[in-house]
Amino acid sequence: MTISLAIDTATSRTSVALVRDGKVLWHGSQIGATDHGSVLPQLVQTALVVSAEIDQVVVGMGPGPFTGLRVGISFAQAFAWARNIPLIGICSLDAIAHGIEIDEFIVATDARRKEVYWAIYKSGERISDLAVSKPAELVSGLPFFGEGSHLYQLSQSQEFLYPDPVALVALSSNQKLHVSAPLYLRRPDALSISERSS
Amino acid sequence: MKSEALVLGIETSCDETAIGIVRGRTLLANVIASSVDEHARFGGVVPEVASRAHLEAIIPALDRAIKEAKISFADLDALAVTAGPGLIGALLVGTSSATGLALASGKPIYAVNHLAAHVSVDALTHDAPLRPTIALLVSGGHSSLLQINDITGNIEKLGQTLDDAAGEAFDKIARLLELGFPGGPAIDALAKSGKRDAIDFPRGLTHAKDNEKHLFDFSFSGLKTAVARYIEATPATKKSDVAASFQEAVVDVLISKALLACTQSGIDSLVIAGGVAANSRLREVAAERAAKRGVELRIPAPLLCTDNGAMVAALGSLMVSAGASASPIDFSADSAMSVLEVAR
Ligand SMILES: [Zn+2]
Repeated sequence: MTISLAIDTATSRTSVALVRDGKVLWHGSQIGATDHGSVLPQLVQTALVVSAEIDQVVVGMGPGPFTGLRVGISFAQAFAWARNIPLIGICSLDAIAHGIEIDEFIVATDARRKEVYWAIYKSGERISDLAVSKPAELVSGLPFFGEGSHLYQLSQSQEFLYPDPVALVALSSNQKLHVSAPLYLRRPDALSISERSS
Repeated sequence: MKSEALVLGIETSCDETAIGIVRGRTLLANVIASSVDEHARFGGVVPEVASRAHLEAIIPALDRAIKEAKISFADLDALAVTAGPGLIGALLVGTSSATGLALASGKPIYAVNHLAAHVSVDALTHDAPLRPTIALLVSGGHSSLLQINDITGNIEKLGQTLDDAAGEAFDKIARLLELGFPGGPAIDALAKSGKRDAIDFPRGLTHAKDNEKHLFDFSFSGLKTAVARYIEATPATKKSDVAASFQEAVVDVLISKALLACTQSGIDSLVIAGGVAANSRLREVAAERAAKRGVELRIPAPLLCTDNGAMVAALGSLMVSAGASASPIDFSADSAMSVLEVAR
């Protein structure tokens, strides 16, 4: 019997779930692009009332807007460290794609600066690299899902907008999907002194 | 009821990922991982670079601090973390890590003010508790003059810099003199062989017309311009004289205003903290003039003057012993947190 605490802050939604052997004990979420820092502890505090015993932490590693993304990862790694339990990182786009029962599609989330983070999925697997692009560059004929698809009118679907924390737990049993570092995809926005003068 | 609380403090407001552990007023661990080298090629702290470095450094820093203090995490009575002011992305790595630790362990958490923490680190250097005091905070990030009535809950702001921080002024002049980065230690060293009265550089905001509005504020941009003009006009001048005269002007203004604040408030105690408190001439002048006025001078050990986690732990520990209530778990980090708010 394993109880997992799942956390994702890679989109404008902060999500938490408590899953025991595939069964959802509790889940909660709140939308707010700048609220992750105070919402996440509230949600986890509520989850811990349902079960204070946690065997592992699973966290969405992005890609996603950096500041919000780091809230989830830093919280998760500190929680796991204090409890001395395993921490597993999973790609947040995979946790959106997991529940979609269509053969081939694209998941796109908001990357700010009028761009989206995206990947192509086929037969339940990610078949492209993770990427960041302008929405207009994503003409494919494939159906779109994810917050970014909705934001840039690539799709009318209101489903599968955000990473599902329960899916994070389901994916965590596949070692090949484990991610050990944040998926930033972009370099820090700064020019070195030599770059600036040239 | 234990009298000596064991507290872990987390500081990530700028470019140092720092963890400190104290027991009461005793320092047990002070681990600092700096990303300063990563910023050097950008010529200043890049917030996103700092935030990424914090996320990578914080768990190893926690491990090292626990080991250094020779305790186990379970032994801790409370956690403390810098909630502001600082870079928001950097602060959030610290506060989110702290709430993660707090919820995992059920330990109370104190979300404290970075500036108040700079002053409270005095508790680790001096045995006698801090009486009401004037505090001068001088570093690359801040230049503030505070009146500390009670470090755990009653602080007044007397003044601050209107432009550059004192440490920034040192860095800029060091660049003009081609002394490299960081500028403080380099100017301090070079000034030792120069004449302090060689050049009469301006003392910002010290004239009668400034007193009404800016009695306790600072301004260093005029001084910087004056030094630049002087170097341009007299290229043959000795660098050591420029360094010594510049340093004298900064130190003179800082200490004059700090001691004036003591006189005006009737408080006969002065704490100086922040990286610039390591400047040897500042310490010399402060000691000399404070003694003359009968003001007790308290300067923390140099390693505790720059940003560190021990100062955050120290403030947490003082709050525990003052019986202050812990912060709600959903407190938010605040890049512009006022010093009037000691904890959230
Ligand atoms: Zn500081």
